[in-house]
Amino acid sequence: MATPDMTVPTLSPKELTEQEAALKEIGSDYAERFGFRDPETGYAYKAPKGLSEQVVRDISEYKSEPDWMREFRLKALAHFQQRPTPTWGGNLGEIDWDDIHYFVRASEGAGRSWDEVPEDIKKTFDRLGIPEAERKFLSGVGAQYESEVVYHQVREDLEKQGVIFCDMDSGLREHEDIVREYWATVIPPNDNKLAALNSAVWSGGSFVYVPAGVKVEMPLQAYFRINTENMGQFERTLIIAEEGADVHYVEGCTAPVYSTDSLHSAVVEIIAKPGAHVRYTTVQNWSHNVYNLVTKRAVAYEDATMEWVDCNLGSKLTMKYPSVYLLGPKAHGEILSIAFAGAGQHQDAGGKIIHGAPKTTSSIFAKSISKDGGRGSYRGLLEVAKGATEARSKVVCDALLLDEESRSDTYPTIRIDENDANVGHEASVSKIGEEQLFYLQAHGLDEEEASKMIVNGFIEPITKELPMEYAVEMNRLIELQMEGSIG
Amino acid sequence: MTPSTKEKAETITVCSVAELADGAMRLVETDGRKIGVFRCGEDLYAIEDRCSHDDGPLAEGEFDATACTVECPRHGSLFDLRSGRPKTLPAFQPVDTFEVRVEGDDVKLEV
Repeated sequence: MATPDMTVPTLSPKELTEQEAALKEIGSDYAERFGFRDPETGYAYKAPKGLSEQVVRDISEYKSEPDWMREFRLKALAHFQQRPTPTWGGNLGEIDWDDIHYFVRASEGAGRSWDEVPEDIKKTFDRLGIPEAERKFLSGVGAQYESEVVYHQVREDLEKQGVIFCDMDSGLREHEDIVREYWATVIPPNDNKLAALNSAVWSGGSFVYVPAGVKVEMPLQAYFRINTENMGQFERTLIIAEEGADVHYVEGCTAPVYSTDSLHSAVVEIIAKPGAHVRYTTVQNWSHNVYNLVTKRAVAYEDATMEWVDCNLGSKLTMKYPSVYLLGPKAHGEILSIAFAGAGQHQDAGGKIIHGAPKTTSSIFAKSISKDGGRGSYRGLLEVAKGATEARSKVVCDALLLDEESRSDTYPTIRIDENDANVGHEASVSKIGEEQLFYLQAHGLDEEEASKMIVNGFIEPITKELPMEYAVEMNRLIELQMEGSIG
Repeated sequence: MTPSTKEKAETITVCSVAELADGAMRLVETDGRKIGVFRCGEDLYAIEDRCSHDDGPLAEGEFDATACTVECPRHGSLFDLRSGRPKTLPAFQPVDTFEVRVEGDDVKLEV
């Protein structure tokens, strides 16, 4: 991945006009476009609210899991119950753990054709544009609705090369040996309270296995949708890229707008073997009643490259710090993070890179935008461990505040245990300047257009790393968030 | 540490063999350093009582004598007692291991 150019690019008025034209096609806000709600008719199973050993046993039995997985879940439940709720980051004190449905099955099994997906659910994904996107530019698609995946398909030519892309439940059933070998080796259940919760009640998510030397040229995509009120979605994703493999996985998330809160708590584990290249892109656009508390971690061995591209737009509170452990010489890790915090939102995002081997390199570029009293936080860790000689890293975190009520915090931690490490850290907090606005207005833009242009320029170094369709989507989402922000 | 100042290994008695049943662990402290001595079947292993992830106590975590592993109680890293190497993150560096053997009726540890 190219190092992002940190200068604010200038867009010509003509380009802006085109972008504006694209925006007008949207013509609706989140509630209309993503925030709709489907009736819960015909659901196969909905666990009663609350978490208990019985609920965990029921989930495991319902999925006909092997004994070792049931025991894993029960042990994780004990860890979850013993651990205190974290008091750092965002405010988790308002989460009522007993007021959540931990497992909701909307339909029986995952279809391999959209025709097999129940009509109501298919309509939802049609409305979100997923089948169309699959036809146009994806190697495979997974669509998770509530707790389970309702559709999964991977291109036949990739299947023939040994690429596995299926939902995690099927992965466990059909590839138990591989799953068991890597399961929870990157994020053990006792890593933190939310990882323990996910480990106890996980359901859905993706299992991706790319054999040695296979390059998956178009992205694999998963789309996650919560529909039920007070629902918890706990998908679990495991990606293994064998030596020299190459894969790009993209996920998107939305939910209806409700007056009460839902919870999304995923665990994502990635193993990049020597020489492999894995990119994991997230465009998170949960509705503003969703707590998004996710643990994502990757390990990269010799000469491997791991990249997280993490865009957080939605949710009430996001706490997410994708991390990379560089455990082989010359491994490279990169984290690009955008967080947009509007009214009532707290985006506590960032990333962690741990250099655990010589000649490893990394970079973290984090950008946050806060408006209407929103709060954006960068929380990051850069560690160069003993023995990781000649490590190089650069951390840049920039914050843009759009008004006096909004807030930005930066919590960078850097630990260096080798003398020859080369580490740079830059941070900036800026407001949209009167001068910039005046300059753009003098060129014929109104104040709102000028602000949008400045924000787009601010995040452009990261959106340019997204696949084109997502970059357009991301710009549209940012524009929507910006609407009405002036005056 | 230069060879001239290197401390000579010292042998200490941990307990009698009868006091360390299969699946049991004994924590010993010597020179301010804590060491966990574990019995997996007929085999004995000793590792330092310090997780390489965040220096927290390790030896009193969940001990699986069959797999010969101990799990850090703080963040769940699983350590192989035979090698001291972590089998899962977040720890990735090995912890120190020590030679432990049976002499007569006693369990002896070299530190």
